[in-house]
Parts: sequence; C-alpha cells; structure tokens
Amino acid sequence: MSDREVIEREADPVAVGRPVHIRLGARAWAKKNLFSTWYDALLTLTLGSLFVAFGWTLIRFLFTSDFAILRVNLALLMVGGFPRDQLWRPVVALILVSILLGLMAGIGSASARDTAEQTGLPYQRSSPMAVLKRFWPVLAFVVVVLMLTETLTPWLVAGAALVAGVGSFPLGRGLPAGVRRFGLVILTIIIAAVYLVLVSGGVGWDGWGGLHLNLFLTVAGLLLAFPLGLLLALGRRSTLPALRAMSVTYIEFIRGVPLITLLLMGIFVIGFFLPTGFRPGNVTRVLIAITLFESAYIAEVVRGGLQSVPGGQVEAAQALGLAPWKTMRRIVLPQALRNTIPAMVGQFISLFKDTTLVVIVGMIDILGASQSANAQGAFLAQGLHRVTLPFVALAFWVGSYVMSREARRLEHKLGVGVR
Amino acid sequence: MTDQGSVFADATQAKGEAIIECVGVDKFFGDFQALYDINITVGLQEVVVVIGPSGSGKSTLIRCINRLEKHDRGSIRVGEIELTDDVRNVQEIRRETGMVFQSFNLFPHLTVLDNITLAPRQVRHIAKDAAEVDAMSLLERVGIPEQARKYPGQLSGGQQQRVAIARSLAMKPKVMLFDEPTSALDPEMIKEVLDVMVELANGGMTMIVVTHEMGFARAVADRVVFMSDGRIVEVGTPEHFFTNPEEDRTKLFLSQIL
Repeated sequence: MSDREVIEREADPVAVGRPVHIRLGARAWAKKNLFSTWYDALLTLTLGSLFVAFGWTLIRFLFTSDFAILRVNLALLMVGGFPRDQLWRPVVALILVSILLGLMAGIGSASARDTAEQTGLPYQRSSPMAVLKRFWPVLAFVVVVLMLTETLTPWLVAGAALVAGVGSFPLGRGLPAGVRRFGLVILTIIIAAVYLVLVSGGVGWDGWGGLHLNLFLTVAGLLLAFPLGLLLALGRRSTLPALRAMSVTYIEFIRGVPLITLLLMGIFVIGFFLPTGFRPGNVTRVLIAITLFESAYIAEVVRGGLQSVPGGQVEAAQALGLAPWKTMRRIVLPQALRNTIPAMVGQFISLFKDTTLVVIVGMIDILGASQSANAQGAFLAQGLHRVTLPFVALAFWVGSYVMSREARRLEHKLGVGVR
Repeated sequence: MTDQGSVFADATQAKGEAIIECVGVDKFFGDFQALYDINITVGLQEVVVVIGPSGSGKSTLIRCINRLEKHDRGSIRVGEIELTDDVRNVQEIRRETGMVFQSFNLFPHLTVLDNITLAPRQVRHIAKDAAEVDAMSLLERVGIPEQARKYPGQLSGGQQQRVAIARSLAMKPKVMLFDEPTSALDPEMIKEVLDVMVELANGGMTMIVVTHEMGFARAVADRVVFMSDGRIVEVGTPEHFFTNPEEDRTKLFLSQIL
C-alpha cells in the first residue's frame, strides 16, 4: 500500500471503518497456522508425513504398475460382454445421449436467462472454463480411459460425443420459449426409445455389462421407481384407510429387506409369479427388483417433501376454489419435489453404487468385469486387484462426486428469488 | 349505511339483500368449543369488521364461511348456496368468496402474475391471455403492476399482501374475507394494504374483515362485531361501538387497546 493510498483511506470516513486485510508472509503464515503450539507442530508433522507417504505411494503406483490388465479389458469394463463387432451400437447411443445432454443444458441455460430477464435478478452465463471446472472429474476419467486405449477409435468416439454435446447446446438455447418443455420431453422419449432399440439390438439387454450396465440400471431404475414412489407417498397420506394401509405395508416391508435379498428374489422367485411362457431375462428381473426397492425409499423422500409444504399453501389454494388434485399438482407437488432434491440425489448416488450388487446374481457389471479380468489366464493370481479396483473406484467416485455437486448447484439455483 | 344499531337484536340483521347468513353456528376443536351459537347476517356491499381478543374465535368464524374449518352445528349460507358436506357446494362457495390471510400464503414457486392467473385459468377456465390482462389491471389497482414478473420472495410484505388481494379478486368473488391482513406487516407497510382495502370497500365489495386496526373499523365498517370467548358479544355501528358500547366486556377490551 503506497503512502498516498493510506492518506486517502484515512480521509475517507467509510474506508477507514473497513476491515484491513493483513497478508502474512509464507513464514509467518506457516507459524500462525501450522506451528503455533507444540501439539500443532506435532499434528502438522504427522499428517504431513502421511500425506507425503501417500503421495509417494500413488506416484510409484502410477509409474511402476502394469496397466496391461486394464488395456486388454477396457471394453469388458465399459460394456461387458457386448459383441465386439456390434460396438457401433453403444457408440451411436453415446453420441445421441451427448446430443440430448447438450440440448438439455442449452434449454436450461436459455430458461435461466429468460427468468433472470423477467425477474430482474442477476444472471451470469457460465463460461466454458466454469463448465470445465464443474465437470473436470468426468473429463479426467475420460482422459484416463483414453490413455488406456490401444486404438485410435475411442479417441474419435470421445471427440464425436464432445462435438455432438457442445454442438447441440446452442440448438437447445435457441429453442423458442413456448416449445421448450414440450420439445425436451418429446426429444427425451425419442432418444430413450432409439437408445433402447439400438443398444439392445445386438444382444438383447441381457447381454449388457460393464459400466454401461451400472449406468443403465441406475437411470432406468430411478425413472421407473419415481412415479411408483410418488404414488406410494400420496397413498400414504391419503384419507382412504385401505389405500393408506397398503402403501404403508408396502413401504415398510420393502424398507425392511436388504436389496441383495430382493435381487436374489428377482432372479429366483419372480418367475413363480409370472405367467408361464413369460420368462424375462436377468437384467429385466434385476430392474424389477431395483424398481420395487427404490420406489419405497423414494416414497419416503417424497413424503418428507410433501410435509415440508406449509399448510397455508393448501389453504390458499382451497380458498381460491382449486380442486384437491389441482392443488396437489399445481401448488403442493412443485414445492415438495423441489425440497426433495438433496435427498433424491442422495438416493440416486446410493443406487448408483448399489448397482454393483448385481455381481451377486452373476452379472458382469464394471465390478464383475474387474473380477473376471483378474480370473483370466494372463493375469491370474498376480495381485492385480490393486490395479483394477482403484479404476472401478475412480469410475464411481467421478459419478457420485459430480452428481452431488450438480445437485447442490441446482438446489441453489432453484432457491434464488423463490423463497 | 345501516341504522344506528342501538338495539342489539336488530343489529345482527343486515340491511339490503343478505349474502351471508350464519344461524346457530357451533364449532368444536376436540373438546374445546371455539364458537357458540353464532348468528349473523351480512348484506350485499356491507363491510363488517370483526374485532376481539386473540382466541376469541374471529378467525375461526370467517374460516367456517369458506369451509377451511367445518362447523359442527347450525347452518351457513353464502349467496344461494347452503354449506354442506357436498364437495361441489364447498367448491362453489369457495369460488364466490375470496380470502386474504395474515401470512399472505402466496405461492412462492410462481411469479406474481402466475399467482394471480392460476385460479381463473384452472377453476374458471379462462384463456391465458385474457387472464393475464385481468391480472395486470388488478395489479394496477393495487398499485404494483411493475412487479408482475417477479417472485413473491422478491417483494416486501406490503406488496405481497397486495398481490394476495389481487389474487383473490381475480376470481371475481362476491364476498371477500380478510383474516388479520395487516398483522404480519411492518408498521410502514400497513397503510398501503389498508388503502387498497378502503378502496375496495368504497367500490362496493362485500367484506368481512378480522383486524386489530381500529382506525380502519371506524372509517370503513358498516357494522363492528365484537367477539369474545367464541361468542358474539356486541354488534353495532362504529359510532355506537366506539363511543357508547353497552357490554362490560366490550368496554374492557376497548379500554385495553385504545
């Protein structure tokens, strides 16, 4: 700070009152924050050496391990036993999903801009750097996967998916306000249908595996469980005793049973309850079990949300003459569901991780793939779990971390100007 | 507008065509009796102000009129419609009566404009454009058309309550019920809400107002109803009520607040 500045600050009564930021030098900072007492110093040294040891182990691991097992089995880890001559199907599907995500982001950005314009709240379009900062774990994971590839094709696929996603962003943003919601719903349905037809074309979805299976079970399980859970939550709050009793019984029964039990029941027991001749494959059975399981938890999450809406909201709607179901649909549910976002994302993350339980019933998801890679002749009994399991862990960490961060963002965004 | 109302029995009768009629209304919350034998008739274009200590059943009374609370004995009639358990009757009465709450109860997830147009569009099935034109003219009337696109959370308490009034008026009700509309407001915002209510009363709206604003009662009320412990203690014109109350309970209350 120059002398002139000091004088100006003293002359300006407002500036004088402001707190002065004192910047410590590196030595002073370390003394204040790391070594202020003898036990501080001890703690610093202990934790510091642990960090160093861990960092050293990590570096040694990265530079000395043989990642051949990952290189050879990369496709197995990503898509399981999907026929290798049919890999174009998931590739095209991936690009379609990228387009959808790009459109969604564009539409979201445009409606955020419009809302800000309407309400006079500040709006800042996020820069490419900010987006990169938000999704760096995903990018890092993709880079890790690409480093492990042996051919050029995956690079091209990743590039195409990126171009598709980034390219469709302005398309979504340019969509006129009137058709946004409708367009998004239609596009989602179309792309979901194309995806299912396309990717199950090669093997039928019972041949799915790898990370793709985990992602599919998570998204499909949650999409199917959500409407069921919503109905259960409404049923539990219903004034009709029979409906309420049924909902409570279902929810409490399912919540009292471990997912593994339900998965095993799905594989071994569901068949007895289905008409003869209808023999669904394992993925279908597992999806049914997951849907039944998740719906009970979602019901409880939604019930919490419903309870969080103040009674005055319902009274105001009633006083205006709104019919009960319109009160529910227009007033209660929009507020209730917004309040459930944090819990719902928690549910989503926990389901994502729970999908590895399908290993128990003999399916080759990403965890199953890593196990079977270790059982291959070339890699048998070499302790290569220490290479494959960190890779699997990385995949789950990336997914969970990004989801929870995005949820926090969404929550924050929806809260602005509303409460 | 009404006669001097010095005779208590006559004062429960409204002048003009009766639009709300409560006969022998009792209301219980569990074992607690909140209303005892309420008899009151409100005439078209009349402004009735209900005052009384807290817990006296003022709010319960007006909440019974649009069936936010169910009365246990007696009969309530709004317009031509008798309030029964029939859901359609209830819906019809609610369409004809607007209500303004102490805590505004605006819908926080909708813009001001959507708050106002929701009921006309959903209940009366009015087209979006027409409903928005109506809503804008109502916002002009309550003095905040520039806030139409904002969310309730962005407005001050007084502005929110004015939006709530506009929201009720959008249904073109025959009767407006006000449940302590200024009690949750900062002092400097009370006037802007009362001004809207005065204008509404002068425009010929039939109103029942539960309030502690004695100035408003004096200036606007055709009749003042004093309630205590779930009973109507005294009814009269403001002049009668504030200058020459008959009941001891009324005198005590007035001595405490004035």
